Amino acid sequence: MSGLAGDPARGGDALVRLFHVSKSYLAGTWALRDVSLELRKGELAFLTGSSGAGKTTLMKLIFAAERPSEGQILILGRNVDRLRPAGIPALRRRIGVVFQDFKLLPRRTVEENVAVALDVVGVPHRQARGRVFSILKRVGLQHRRFHYPLSLSGGEQQRVAIARALVNEPEILLADEPTGNLDAALTLEIMDLIAGAAARGTTVLVATHDLSLVERFGRRMLRLDAGRLAADQRAAGVAP
Amino acid sequence: MTLFLLGAFALLLANMSGLLERFGREVRLTAYVADGLAPEAGRALAERVARLEGVERAVFVGKDEALERFRRRLGGEASLLEGLEENPLPASVEVELAPSHRSEDGLARVRAALAATDGVAEVAHGHAWVAGYARAVSLLRAAAAVLGGVLALAALLIVTNTIRLGVYARRDEIEILMLVGATRTFVAAPFLLEGLVQGAAGGALALGALWAAFALFGGPLHGAFAFVLGSVEPSFLGAGGCAALVAGGAGLGFLGSAAALLQGLRA
Repeated sequence: MSGLAGDPARGGDALVRLFHVSKSYLAGTWALRDVSLELRKGELAFLTGSSGAGKTTLMKLIFAAERPSEGQILILGRNVDRLRPAGIPALRRRIGVVFQDFKLLPRRTVEENVAVALDVVGVPHRQARGRVFSILKRVGLQHRRFHYPLSLSGGEQQRVAIARALVNEPEILLADEPTGNLDAALTLEIMDLIAGAAARGTTVLVATHDLSLVERFGRRMLRLDAGRLAADQRAAGVAP
Repeated sequence: MTLFLLGAFALLLANMSGLLERFGREVRLTAYVADGLAPEAGRALAERVARLEGVERAVFVGKDEALERFRRRLGGEASLLEGLEENPLPASVEVELAPSHRSEDGLARVRAALAATDGVAEVAHGHAWVAGYARAVSLLRAAAAVLGGVLALAALLIVTNTIRLGVYARRDEIEILMLVGATRTFVAAPFLLEGLVQGAAGGALALGALWAAFALFGGPLHGAFAFVLGSVEPSFLGAGGCAALVAGGAGLGFLGSAAALLQGLRA
Protein backbone atom coordinates (compact mmCIF):
# COMPACT_ATOMS: atom_id res chain seq x y z
CA MET A 1 0.00 0.00 0.00
CA SER A 2 1.47 3.33 -1.04
CA GLY A 3 1.78 6.25 1.31
CA LEU A 4 -0.39 9.31 1.20
CA ALA A 5 0.28 11.79 -1.56
CA GLY A 6 -0.76 14.72 0.60
CA ASP A 7 2.39 16.80 0.67
CA PRO A 8 1.31 20.35 -0.11
CA ALA A 9 4.67 21.04 -1.64
CA ARG A 10 4.07 18.47 -4.40
CA GLY A 11 1.38 18.15 -7.01
CA GLY A 12 2.16 20.93 -9.44
CA ASP A 13 -0.66 19.81 -11.72
CA ALA A 14 -2.97 18.53 -8.98
CA LEU A 15 -6.54 19.70 -9.66
CA VAL A 16 -7.93 18.34 -6.39
CA ARG A 17 -5.99 18.73 -3.16
CA LEU A 18 -7.26 17.90 0.31
CA PHE A 19 -5.14 18.75 3.36
CA HIS A 20 -6.22 17.09 6.60
CA VAL A 21 -9.86 17.51 5.81
CA SER A 22 -12.51 16.54 8.33
CA LYS A 23 -16.26 16.91 8.15
CA SER A 24 -18.73 16.65 10.99
CA TYR A 25 -22.50 16.95 10.65
CA LEU A 26 -23.30 16.32 14.30
CA ALA A 27 -21.17 17.17 17.31
CA GLY A 28 -18.99 14.20 18.14
CA THR A 29 -19.55 12.28 14.89
CA TRP A 30 -17.28 12.58 11.89
CA ALA A 31 -18.25 11.75 8.32
CA LEU A 32 -14.62 12.34 7.29
CA ARG A 33 -11.56 12.44 9.47
CA ASP A 34 -8.18 13.87 8.59
CA VAL A 35 -8.22 13.03 4.89
CA SER A 36 -5.36 14.21 2.70
CA LEU A 37 -5.10 13.35 -0.97
CA GLU A 38 -4.38 14.76 -4.40
CA LEU A 39 -5.79 14.02 -7.82
CA ARG A 40 -3.75 15.05 -10.82
CA LYS A 41 -4.81 16.07 -14.27
CA GLY A 42 -6.10 13.15 -16.32
CA GLU A 43 -6.01 10.77 -13.38
CA LEU A 44 -8.69 8.08 -12.96
CA ALA A 45 -9.20 7.14 -9.33
CA PHE A 46 -11.77 4.99 -7.55
CA LEU A 47 -13.11 5.89 -4.15
CA THR A 48 -14.22 2.76 -2.34
CA GLY A 49 -15.58 1.89 1.06
CA SER A 50 -18.69 0.51 2.71
CA SER A 51 -21.89 2.51 3.07
CA GLY A 52 -21.34 5.38 5.48
CA ALA A 53 -17.60 5.39 4.93
CA GLY A 54 -17.74 8.98 3.69
CA LYS A 55 -17.57 8.62 -0.10
CA THR A 56 -20.54 10.89 -0.85
CA THR A 57 -19.37 13.42 1.74
CA LEU A 58 -15.99 13.59 0.04
CA MET A 59 -17.67 14.11 -3.34
CA LYS A 60 -19.84 16.90 -1.89
CA LEU A 61 -16.81 18.64 -0.47
CA ILE A 62 -15.10 18.55 -3.87
CA PHE A 63 -18.01 20.19 -5.71
CA ALA A 64 -18.55 22.64 -2.87
CA ALA A 65 -21.95 21.36 -1.78
CA GLU A 66 -20.44 21.17 1.71
CA ARG A 67 -17.65 23.01 3.49
CA PRO A 68 -15.02 21.20 5.56
CA SER A 69 -15.20 21.38 9.32
CA GLU A 70 -11.40 21.24 9.44
CA GLY A 71 -8.60 21.33 6.90
CA GLN A 72 -8.27 22.87 3.46
CA ILE A 73 -9.59 21.88 0.08
CA LEU A 74 -8.14 23.29 -3.13
CA ILE A 75 -10.18 22.56 -6.25
CA LEU A 76 -8.73 23.86 -9.51
CA GLY A 77 -6.60 26.18 -7.40
CA ARG A 78 -9.55 27.64 -5.47
CA ASN A 79 -9.85 27.24 -1.70
CA VAL A 80 -13.35 25.91 -1.24
CA ASP A 81 -13.62 27.04 2.35
CA ARG A 82 -12.90 30.64 1.40
CA LEU A 83 -15.13 30.59 -1.64
CA ARG A 84 -18.03 33.02 -1.42
CA PRO A 85 -21.46 31.66 -2.37
CA ALA A 86 -21.42 33.74 -5.55
CA GLY A 87 -18.20 32.00 -6.63
CA ILE A 88 -19.52 28.44 -6.34
CA PRO A 89 -21.41 28.32 -9.68
CA ALA A 90 -18.27 29.26 -11.60
CA LEU A 91 -16.36 26.41 -9.94
CA ARG A 92 -19.13 23.90 -10.61
CA ARG A 93 -19.14 24.72 -14.30
CA ARG A 94 -15.68 23.20 -14.45
CA ILE A 95 -16.80 20.04 -12.66
CA GLY A 96 -19.08 17.41 -14.16
CA VAL A 97 -21.12 15.29 -11.76
CA VAL A 98 -22.86 11.97 -12.34
CA PHE A 99 -25.15 10.40 -9.75
CA GLN A 100 -26.51 6.95 -9.12
CA ASP A 101 -30.09 8.22 -9.64
CA PHE A 102 -29.17 10.09 -12.84
CA LYS A 103 -30.90 13.36 -11.77
CA LEU A 104 -32.44 14.12 -15.13
CA LEU A 105 -35.28 16.60 -15.68
CA PRO A 106 -38.32 14.45 -16.53
CA ARG A 107 -40.20 17.19 -18.38
CA ARG A 108 -37.33 18.01 -20.72
CA THR A 109 -36.08 15.99 -23.66
CA VAL A 110 -32.70 14.29 -23.72
CA GLU A 111 -31.34 17.16 -25.80
CA GLU A 112 -32.70 19.75 -23.39
CA ASN A 113 -31.35 17.88 -20.39
CA VAL A 114 -27.86 17.95 -21.81
CA ALA A 115 -28.22 21.53 -23.07
CA VAL A 116 -29.03 22.85 -19.61
CA ALA A 117 -25.33 22.66 -18.74
CA LEU A 118 -24.62 24.97 -21.69
CA ASP A 119 -27.58 27.28 -20.96
CA VAL A 120 -26.19 28.19 -17.58
CA VAL A 121 -22.91 29.33 -19.12
CA GLY A 122 -24.68 31.32 -21.80
CA VAL A 123 -23.74 29.29 -24.87
CA PRO A 124 -25.85 30.51 -27.83
CA HIS A 125 -28.65 28.16 -28.75
CA ARG A 126 -27.40 27.21 -32.22
CA GLN A 127 -23.92 26.47 -30.95
CA ALA A 128 -25.34 24.54 -28.01
CA ARG A 129 -27.37 22.27 -30.29
CA GLY A 130 -24.23 21.33 -32.18
CA ARG A 131 -22.28 20.53 -29.05
CA VAL A 132 -25.17 18.57 -27.57
CA PHE A 133 -25.46 16.47 -30.72
CA SER A 134 -21.75 15.80 -30.69
CA ILE A 135 -21.67 14.61 -27.08
CA LEU A 136 -24.82 12.52 -27.51
CA LYS A 137 -23.16 10.87 -30.49
CA ARG A 138 -20.17 10.09 -28.32
CA VAL A 139 -22.41 8.31 -25.80
CA GLY A 140 -24.44 6.71 -28.58
CA LEU A 141 -27.76 8.46 -27.99
CA GLN A 142 -28.01 11.02 -30.77
CA HIS A 143 -31.04 9.17 -32.18
CA ARG A 144 -32.91 9.52 -28.87
CA ARG A 145 -32.30 13.22 -28.37
CA PHE A 146 -35.97 14.19 -28.68
CA HIS A 147 -37.15 11.50 -26.30
CA TYR A 148 -37.97 12.04 -22.66
CA PRO A 149 -35.93 10.43 -19.88
CA LEU A 150 -38.69 8.16 -18.66
CA SER A 151 -38.85 6.48 -22.05
CA LEU A 152 -35.18 5.49 -21.76
CA SER A 153 -33.61 2.49 -20.04
CA GLY A 154 -31.49 2.94 -16.92
CA GLY A 155 -28.30 2.65 -18.92
CA GLU A 156 -29.50 5.18 -21.46
CA GLN A 157 -30.48 7.62 -18.74
CA GLN A 158 -27.06 7.33 -17.17
CA ARG A 159 -25.47 7.96 -20.56
CA VAL A 160 -27.54 11.15 -20.83
CA ALA A 161 -26.31 12.15 -17.38
CA ILE A 162 -22.72 11.51 -18.45
CA ALA A 163 -23.28 13.53 -21.61
CA ARG A 164 -24.58 16.44 -19.52
CA ALA A 165 -21.58 16.12 -17.21
CA LEU A 166 -19.11 16.16 -20.12
CA VAL A 167 -20.71 18.61 -22.57
CA ASN A 168 -18.92 21.57 -21.00
CA GLU A 169 -15.59 19.73 -21.21
CA PRO A 170 -15.00 19.85 -17.48
CA GLU A 171 -11.61 19.48 -15.95
CA ILE A 172 -12.95 17.21 -13.21
CA LEU A 173 -15.60 14.49 -13.42
CA LEU A 174 -17.13 13.13 -10.22
CA ALA A 175 -19.24 9.99 -10.49
CA ASP A 176 -21.03 8.90 -7.33
CA GLU A 177 -22.02 5.24 -7.74
CA PRO A 178 -22.72 5.75 -11.45
CA THR A 179 -23.41 2.05 -12.06
CA GLY A 180 -25.23 1.32 -8.80
CA ASN A 181 -28.59 0.84 -10.54
CA LEU A 182 -27.29 -0.97 -13.63
CA ASP A 183 -26.61 -4.54 -14.59
CA ALA A 184 -23.16 -5.88 -15.41
CA ALA A 185 -23.29 -5.23 -19.16
CA LEU A 186 -24.49 -1.68 -18.76
CA THR A 187 -21.97 -1.13 -15.99
CA LEU A 188 -19.11 -1.85 -18.36
CA GLU A 189 -20.66 0.36 -21.01
CA ILE A 190 -20.88 3.29 -18.60
CA MET A 191 -17.41 2.76 -17.22
CA ASP A 192 -16.00 2.74 -20.75
CA LEU A 193 -17.45 6.21 -21.26
CA ILE A 194 -16.09 7.45 -17.95
CA ALA A 195 -12.67 5.98 -18.54
CA GLY A 196 -12.72 7.55 -21.99
CA ALA A 197 -13.10 10.99 -20.36
CA ALA A 198 -10.01 10.34 -18.28
CA ALA A 199 -8.13 9.29 -21.40
CA ARG A 200 -8.97 12.67 -22.91
CA GLY A 201 -7.46 14.52 -19.95
CA THR A 202 -10.33 14.88 -17.49
CA THR A 203 -9.52 14.09 -13.88
CA VAL A 204 -12.01 11.43 -12.84
CA LEU A 205 -13.04 10.23 -9.39
CA VAL A 206 -15.52 7.37 -9.23
CA ALA A 207 -17.14 6.36 -5.94
CA THR A 208 -18.20 2.73 -6.00
CA HIS A 209 -18.83 -0.39 -3.96
CA ASP A 210 -17.94 -2.52 -6.93
CA LEU A 211 -14.34 -3.65 -6.51
CA SER A 212 -14.46 -5.51 -9.81
CA LEU A 213 -14.49 -2.14 -11.55
CA VAL A 214 -11.38 -1.16 -9.70
CA GLU A 215 -9.69 -4.33 -10.84
CA ARG A 216 -10.79 -3.84 -14.43
CA PHE A 217 -10.34 -0.09 -14.88
CA GLY A 218 -8.63 1.23 -11.86
CA ARG A 219 -5.26 2.77 -11.82
CA ARG A 220 -5.67 4.12 -8.34
CA MET A 221 -7.88 3.13 -5.46
CA LEU A 222 -8.66 5.32 -2.44
CA ARG A 223 -10.35 3.33 0.29
CA LEU A 224 -12.32 5.07 3.02
CA ASP A 225 -13.09 3.35 6.30
CA ALA A 226 -15.23 5.13 8.90
CA GLY A 227 -14.31 8.49 7.40
CA ARG A 228 -10.57 7.91 7.27
CA LEU A 229 -8.42 7.27 4.23
CA ALA A 230 -7.40 3.71 4.97
CA ALA A 231 -5.60 3.00 1.72
CA ASP A 232 -4.30 4.82 -1.35
CA GLN A 233 -3.15 2.20 -3.86
CA ARG A 234 -1.92 2.58 -7.35
CA ALA A 235 -2.03 -0.26 -9.82
CA ALA A 236 1.27 -1.73 -10.88
CA GLY A 237 2.98 0.37 -13.50
CA VAL A 238 1.09 3.55 -12.61
CA ALA A 239 3.41 6.37 -11.56
CA PRO A 240 2.64 8.12 -8.26
CA MET B 1 -59.55 39.62 -5.23
CA THR B 2 -57.41 41.68 -2.89
CA LEU B 3 -56.33 43.88 -5.80
CA PHE B 4 -60.02 44.32 -6.69
CA LEU B 5 -60.77 45.43 -3.14
CA LEU B 6 -57.77 47.75 -3.16
CA GLY B 7 -58.96 49.23 -6.42
CA ALA B 8 -62.51 49.60 -5.11
CA PHE B 9 -61.25 51.51 -2.10
CA ALA B 10 -59.09 53.69 -4.26
CA LEU B 11 -62.08 54.41 -6.50
CA LEU B 12 -64.34 55.25 -3.55
CA LEU B 13 -61.71 57.45 -1.99
CA ALA B 14 -61.02 59.24 -5.26
CA ASN B 15 -64.70 59.97 -5.79
CA MET B 16 -65.32 61.11 -2.25
CA SER B 17 -62.28 63.34 -2.27
CA GLY B 18 -63.35 64.75 -5.61
CA LEU B 19 -66.83 65.27 -4.25
CA LEU B 20 -65.53 67.13 -1.27
CA GLU B 21 -63.48 69.35 -3.49
CA ARG B 22 -66.47 70.11 -5.69
CA PHE B 23 -68.62 70.86 -2.68
CA GLY B 24 -65.83 72.88 -1.29
CA ARG B 25 -66.17 75.23 -4.22
CA GLU B 26 -69.83 75.66 -3.35
CA VAL B 27 -69.23 76.40 0.29
CA ARG B 28 -70.50 79.90 0.78
CA LEU B 29 -71.09 82.19 3.66
CA THR B 30 -73.92 84.65 3.69
CA ALA B 31 -73.30 87.92 5.49
CA TYR B 32 -76.60 89.67 6.10
CA VAL B 33 -76.17 93.39 5.99
CA ALA B 34 -77.51 95.76 8.56
CA ASP B 35 -81.07 96.94 7.98
CA GLY B 36 -81.42 100.17 6.03
CA LEU B 37 -78.05 100.00 4.31
CA ALA B 38 -78.27 101.60 0.88
CA PRO B 39 -77.44 99.47 -2.15
CA GLU B 40 -74.31 101.57 -2.91
CA ALA B 41 -73.10 101.04 0.64
CA GLY B 42 -73.94 97.35 0.26
CA ARG B 43 -71.77 97.07 -2.87
CA ALA B 44 -68.95 98.92 -1.11
CA LEU B 45 -69.30 96.46 1.77
CA ALA B 46 -69.01 93.58 -0.73
CA GLU B 47 -65.78 95.07 -2.07
CA ARG B 48 -64.35 95.32 1.45
CA VAL B 49 -65.36 91.73 2.18
CA ALA B 50 -63.73 90.53 -1.06
CA ARG B 51 -60.42 91.82 0.21
CA LEU B 52 -60.60 89.78 3.42
CA GLU B 53 -58.15 86.89 3.78
CA GLY B 54 -59.70 83.61 2.65
CA VAL B 55 -62.36 85.20 0.45
CA GLU B 56 -62.38 84.24 -3.21
CA ARG B 57 -65.36 86.34 -4.24
CA ALA B 58 -68.01 88.49 -2.60
CA VAL B 59 -71.26 89.50 -4.29
CA PHE B 60 -73.84 91.95 -2.95
CA VAL B 61 -77.43 90.67 -3.23
CA GLY B 62 -79.96 93.41 -2.68
CA LYS B 63 -83.40 92.93 -1.08
CA ASP B 64 -85.18 92.93 -4.45
CA GLU B 65 -82.85 90.42 -5.97
CA ALA B 66 -83.13 88.21 -2.88
CA LEU B 67 -86.90 88.21 -3.22
CA GLU B 68 -86.68 87.41 -6.92
CA ARG B 69 -84.37 84.45 -6.20
CA PHE B 70 -86.73 83.20 -3.54
CA ARG B 71 -89.65 83.53 -5.96
CA ARG B 72 -87.79 81.40 -8.54
CA ARG B 73 -86.94 78.81 -5.95
CA LEU B 74 -90.57 78.48 -4.94
CA GLY B 75 -91.48 77.75 -8.53
CA GLY B 76 -95.18 76.87 -8.68
CA GLU B 77 -95.69 78.07 -5.12
CA ALA B 78 -94.57 81.59 -5.94
CA SER B 79 -98.15 82.80 -5.61
CA LEU B 80 -97.65 82.54 -1.87
CA LEU B 81 -95.63 85.75 -2.07
CA GLU B 82 -98.43 87.79 -3.66
CA GLY B 83 -99.94 88.62 -0.31
CA LEU B 84 -96.74 90.18 1.02
CA GLU B 85 -97.01 93.93 1.65
CA GLU B 86 -93.30 94.47 2.00
CA ASN B 87 -90.13 92.51 1.23
CA PRO B 88 -89.07 90.71 4.41
CA LEU B 89 -85.82 89.42 2.97
CA PRO B 90 -82.60 91.16 3.99
CA ALA B 91 -79.86 92.26 1.66
CA SER B 92 -76.72 90.18 1.94
CA VAL B 93 -73.23 89.65 0.72
CA GLU B 94 -72.58 86.13 -0.62
CA VAL B 95 -69.04 85.09 0.13
CA GLU B 96 -67.21 82.35 -1.77
CA LEU B 97 -64.22 80.89 0.08
CA ALA B 98 -60.73 80.71 -1.38
CA PRO B 99 -59.48 77.12 -1.88
CA SER B 100 -57.02 77.53 0.96
CA HIS B 101 -59.86 78.23 3.34
CA ARG B 102 -62.32 75.52 2.29
CA SER B 103 -62.04 73.65 5.55
CA GLU B 104 -63.68 73.78 8.92
CA ASP B 105 -60.89 75.93 10.28
CA GLY B 106 -60.79 78.25 7.27
CA LEU B 107 -64.53 78.62 7.33
CA ALA B 108 -64.43 79.61 11.00
CA ARG B 109 -61.73 82.25 10.39
CA VAL B 110 -63.54 83.90 7.51
CA ARG B 111 -66.76 83.78 9.46
CA ALA B 112 -65.11 85.56 12.40
CA ALA B 113 -63.63 88.19 10.08
CA LEU B 114 -67.01 88.82 8.49
CA ALA B 115 -68.74 89.13 11.85
CA ALA B 116 -66.21 91.81 12.80
CA THR B 117 -66.78 93.80 9.60
CA ASP B 118 -68.78 97.01 9.88
CA GLY B 119 -72.13 96.74 8.21
CA VAL B 120 -72.50 93.00 8.71
CA ALA B 121 -75.40 92.13 10.98
CA GLU B 122 -75.24 88.34 10.89
CA VAL B 123 -73.20 85.59 9.25
CA ALA B 124 -74.70 82.28 8.25
CA HIS B 125 -73.74 79.31 6.05
CA GLY B 126 -76.01 76.55 4.87
CA HIS B 127 -73.44 73.79 4.65
CA ALA B 128 -72.84 72.92 8.28
CA TRP B 129 -72.58 69.32 7.25
CA VAL B 130 -69.49 69.95 5.08
CA ALA B 131 -67.20 70.15 8.09
CA GLY B 132 -68.53 66.83 9.27
CA TYR B 133 -68.13 65.48 5.78
CA ALA B 134 -64.50 66.57 5.67
CA ARG B 135 -63.91 64.75 8.93
CA ALA B 136 -65.58 61.67 7.50
CA VAL B 137 -63.32 61.75 4.43
CA SER B 138 -60.22 62.11 6.62
CA LEU B 139 -61.41 59.11 8.58
CA LEU B 140 -62.05 57.23 5.37
CA ARG B 141 -58.55 58.07 4.12
CA ALA B 142 -57.05 56.74 7.34
CA ALA B 143 -59.19 53.60 7.20
CA ALA B 144 -58.29 53.14 3.52
CA ALA B 145 -54.61 53.46 4.34
CA VAL B 146 -54.86 50.83 7.07
CA LEU B 147 -57.10 48.50 5.09
CA GLY B 148 -55.08 49.09 1.97
CA GLY B 149 -51.96 48.14 3.88
CA VAL B 150 -53.61 44.99 5.21
CA LEU B 151 -54.89 44.03 1.75
CA ALA B 152 -51.51 44.68 0.19
CA LEU B 153 -49.88 42.50 2.84
CA ALA B 154 -52.47 39.79 2.20
CA ALA B 155 -51.78 39.95 -1.53
CA LEU B 156 -48.05 39.77 -0.84
CA LEU B 157 -48.47 36.73 1.40
CA ILE B 158 -50.65 34.98 -1.17
CA VAL B 159 -48.11 35.54 -3.94
CA THR B 160 -45.23 34.53 -1.66
CA ASN B 161 -46.91 31.27 -0.75
CA THR B 162 -47.86 30.54 -4.34
CA ILE B 163 -44.32 31.06 -5.55
CA ARG B 164 -42.93 29.14 -2.57
CA LEU B 165 -45.09 26.18 -3.58
CA GLY B 166 -43.81 26.59 -7.12
CA VAL B 167 -40.21 26.62 -5.91
CA TYR B 168 -40.89 23.53 -3.81
CA ALA B 169 -42.56 21.73 -6.71
CA ARG B 170 -39.54 22.47 -8.87
CA ARG B 171 -36.92 21.81 -6.23
CA ASP B 172 -35.45 18.88 -8.15
CA GLU B 173 -35.01 21.04 -11.21
CA ILE B 174 -33.49 23.81 -9.12
CA GLU B 175 -31.10 21.33 -7.50
CA ILE B 176 -29.91 20.12 -10.89
CA LEU B 177 -29.51 23.63 -12.24
CA MET B 178 -27.37 24.58 -9.27
CA LEU B 179 -25.32 21.41 -9.61
CA VAL B 180 -24.39 22.26 -13.20
CA GLY B 181 -23.32 25.75 -12.13
CA ALA B 182 -26.38 27.95 -12.53
CA THR B 183 -26.19 31.17 -10.56
CA ARG B 184 -28.99 32.10 -8.19
CA THR B 185 -30.00 34.81 -10.63
CA PHE B 186 -30.34 32.25 -13.42
CA VAL B 187 -32.53 30.08 -11.21
CA ALA B 188 -34.54 32.93 -9.75
CA ALA B 189 -35.23 34.90 -12.93
CA PRO B 190 -38.10 32.72 -14.23
CA PHE B 191 -39.83 32.80 -10.84
CA LEU B 192 -39.44 36.58 -10.52
CA LEU B 193 -40.83 37.04 -13.99
CA GLU B 194 -43.69 34.69 -13.16
CA GLY B 195 -44.54 36.73 -10.06
CA LEU B 196 -44.35 39.99 -11.98
CA VAL B 197 -46.59 38.75 -14.79
CA GLN B 198 -49.08 37.12 -12.43
CA GLY B 199 -49.26 40.27 -10.36
CA ALA B 200 -49.74 42.50 -13.39
CA ALA B 201 -52.37 40.13 -14.78
CA GLY B 202 -54.11 40.14 -11.42
CA GLY B 203 -54.06 43.92 -11.41
CA ALA B 204 -55.46 44.05 -14.95
CA LEU B 205 -58.20 41.55 -14.08
CA ALA B 206 -59.07 43.51 -10.95
CA LEU B 207 -59.23 46.67 -13.03
CA GLY B 208 -61.56 45.01 -15.52
CA ALA B 209 -63.81 43.69 -12.76
CA LEU B 210 -63.82 47.08 -11.09
CA TRP B 211 -64.77 48.80 -14.32
CA ALA B 212 -67.58 46.28 -14.90
CA ALA B 213 -68.87 46.81 -11.36
CA PHE B 214 -68.66 50.58 -11.82
CA ALA B 215 -70.55 50.38 -15.12
CA LEU B 216 -73.25 48.16 -13.57
CA PHE B 217 -73.70 49.76 -10.18
CA GLY B 218 -72.35 53.29 -10.56
CA GLY B 219 -75.59 54.68 -12.00
CA PRO B 220 -78.01 53.09 -9.51
CA LEU B 221 -75.78 54.07 -6.57
CA HIS B 222 -75.62 57.63 -7.79
CA GLY B 223 -79.41 57.70 -8.06
CA ALA B 224 -79.79 56.38 -4.52
CA PHE B 225 -77.55 59.12 -3.13
CA ALA B 226 -78.64 61.92 -5.44
CA PHE B 227 -80.01 63.97 -2.49
CA VAL B 228 -76.43 64.22 -1.26
CA LEU B 229 -74.54 64.16 -4.52
CA GLY B 230 -76.83 66.45 -6.42
CA SER B 231 -75.49 66.98 -9.92
CA VAL B 232 -72.10 65.48 -9.16
CA GLU B 233 -71.42 62.43 -11.33
CA PRO B 234 -69.22 59.55 -10.08
CA SER B 235 -66.09 59.00 -12.11
CA PHE B 236 -63.86 55.97 -12.67
CA LEU B 237 -60.14 55.92 -11.90
CA GLY B 238 -58.08 58.04 -14.23
CA ALA B 239 -55.25 56.71 -16.40
CA GLY B 240 -52.82 57.18 -13.53
CA GLY B 241 -55.01 55.25 -11.10
CA CYS B 242 -55.47 52.40 -13.56
CA ALA B 243 -51.76 52.21 -14.25
CA ALA B 244 -51.05 52.31 -10.51
CA LEU B 245 -53.35 49.34 -9.87
CA VAL B 246 -51.69 47.21 -12.55
CA ALA B 247 -48.20 48.35 -11.57
CA GLY B 248 -49.03 47.77 -7.92
CA GLY B 249 -50.10 44.25 -8.73
CA ALA B 250 -46.89 43.65 -10.66
CA GLY B 251 -44.86 45.07 -7.80
CA LEU B 252 -46.59 42.90 -5.22
CA GLY B 253 -46.07 39.86 -7.45
CA PHE B 254 -42.38 40.60 -7.83
CA LEU B 255 -41.87 41.21 -4.12
CA GLY B 256 -43.76 38.05 -3.21
CA SER B 257 -41.59 36.00 -5.58
CA ALA B 258 -38.42 37.50 -4.21
CA ALA B 259 -39.50 36.71 -0.65
CA ALA B 260 -40.33 33.12 -1.57
CA LEU B 261 -37.05 32.66 -3.41
CA LEU B 262 -35.00 34.08 -0.57
CA GLN B 263 -36.23 31.23 1.58
CA GLY B 264 -36.47 28.56 -1.09
CA LEU B 265 -33.03 28.95 -2.62
CA ARG B 266 -31.37 29.23 0.76
CA ALA B 267 -32.89 25.87 1.67
